[in-house]
Amino acid sequence: MTQQNQTAPARAIIQHPAVKWLLQALGAAAFILLVPLVFKMQWANFKPLFTATSLRFLSLGMLATIVVSIEAIILSLPLATLLALGRISPIKWISWPCIAFIEVLRSLPLLLLIFYINLRFPGLTIFADVSVGSKGSFIELLITSILSQGGMATMVALTFYTAAVNAELLRSGILSLERGQAEAARSLGLSYRQTMQHVILPQAYRRILAPLIAQFTILVKDTSLGAIIGFLELLKRGQILYQRDFNPMETLYVIALIYFVINYCLGLTQKLVARRQPTVPKTLTDNLADI
Amino acid sequence: MDWSLIGQGVIVTLELTALSAVLSLVVGIVVAVLRIAPNAALQWIGGIYTEFFRNIPLLVVLFFFYYALPNTGIALLRLSAFSCAVWGLGLYTAAYVAEVIRAGFNAVSKGNTEAARSLGLSFLQTIRYVQLPQALRSAIPPLGTLLIALLKNTSLASTITVADLFFQADFIGNRTFNPDILLIAGAVYVALTLPIAGAINLVERRWAIKR
Repeated sequence: MTQQNQTAPARAIIQHPAVKWLLQALGAAAFILLVPLVFKMQWANFKPLFTATSLRFLSLGMLATIVVSIEAIILSLPLATLLALGRISPIKWISWPCIAFIEVLRSLPLLLLIFYINLRFPGLTIFADVSVGSKGSFIELLITSILSQGGMATMVALTFYTAAVNAELLRSGILSLERGQAEAARSLGLSYRQTMQHVILPQAYRRILAPLIAQFTILVKDTSLGAIIGFLELLKRGQILYQRDFNPMETLYVIALIYFVINYCLGLTQKLVARRQPTVPKTLTDNLADI
Repeated sequence: MDWSLIGQGVIVTLELTALSAVLSLVVGIVVAVLRIAPNAALQWIGGIYTEFFRNIPLLVVLFFFYYALPNTGIALLRLSAFSCAVWGLGLYTAAYVAEVIRAGFNAVSKGNTEAARSLGLSFLQTIRYVQLPQALRSAIPPLGTLLIALLKNTSLASTITVADLFFQADFIGNRTFNPDILLIAGAVYVALTLPIAGAINLVERRWAIKR
């Protein structure tokens, strides 16, 4: 009922996009400040996080998280393309192994995959294991932590897992195209390879661009599993800090906010892309929900 | 090799999945209702909840429950590892459940809601008797996918010392220096998801509304 009592100009002000955005930003700031109050966090426990060494330590972890996610999504795409094309192939001895590979990888817990690759292939790293106290320039430390055994095992596991998910995504993109596209291309005399390369795949990739960014968000989140096998990414570095300073609550809260900011920005990009590009209908990608 | 450990792990995994699925469904419905509430503040609270939990890793949530909450000094928040896992998994998954159910609410035709309101049903009555039953039915397939994802995610509870299937497999693997036991655990996970997928298909054929 309150809405009807409001005068028209007041409602117009509240609904103005800039005001709406400002209100939301204020609300978000209030929320960020409210959580520490609810859980009785202490300002003194936040302080050690905002020293130069801690910030440098955490930003190394943040960059390692982002770089490994980018590696995994880029490396997964060629494999995903092959798997998707294999799965829709009419030849059974091509399609069945692809189906098996995709379905098995998608139904395994990712943690299990990471552990298995880490334990089964102990020689993935090209560096001797880096430890927390290693000295070196920022970029050296970043590269050694990414190419450490933990980082490589995480990257390989994420690549295979994401390839399976992206293959399904790409397949839904291909299936969402009109049949006429492929038929027209073939009857114009294009070979199978030409049809795929010049007609089908470019369109399918454009349609799955937004869901691919969503998958990248999930990758950024899943990289945190590397912490369990000693990959020095954001969460692991946070753990190391709170074990030194005895402030798990405050550190984990800051870590959560960093992840939130990264993924929220990615989410905005995804919305922007979805508005500009034709995107696969949501019903086709529903069964891919991978959280 | 100790098969009884694997068996115990399977039971813990199933318990975790069931409890956190119920929790996530309840919380998810509440959040979804908040998101379609006629009050902007309530909508915003629902939005913050989903955005927050969808954008942070589950592992951070679990660690927060297990390592950080006991530090508040509030006795109520001193939970066992298993309860931490249930709350963490449940609240995390609830954000996704809320999105799915909200999509279900959107799929209910506007005329239905308007008719219910003009018959004199209150907002909550309309939700309870008109919108929610339809929304849940059209949300069955995506909810099923979430259930399978939840089952896979319970493996993360092993990192906060819950002795689930993955924990036991890793334990045996470490004792025998043979990581191949993880593959057996993986096969068990696949075997557990298959009946769930079958059950969802059955429920879907019986009740679901095709969108």
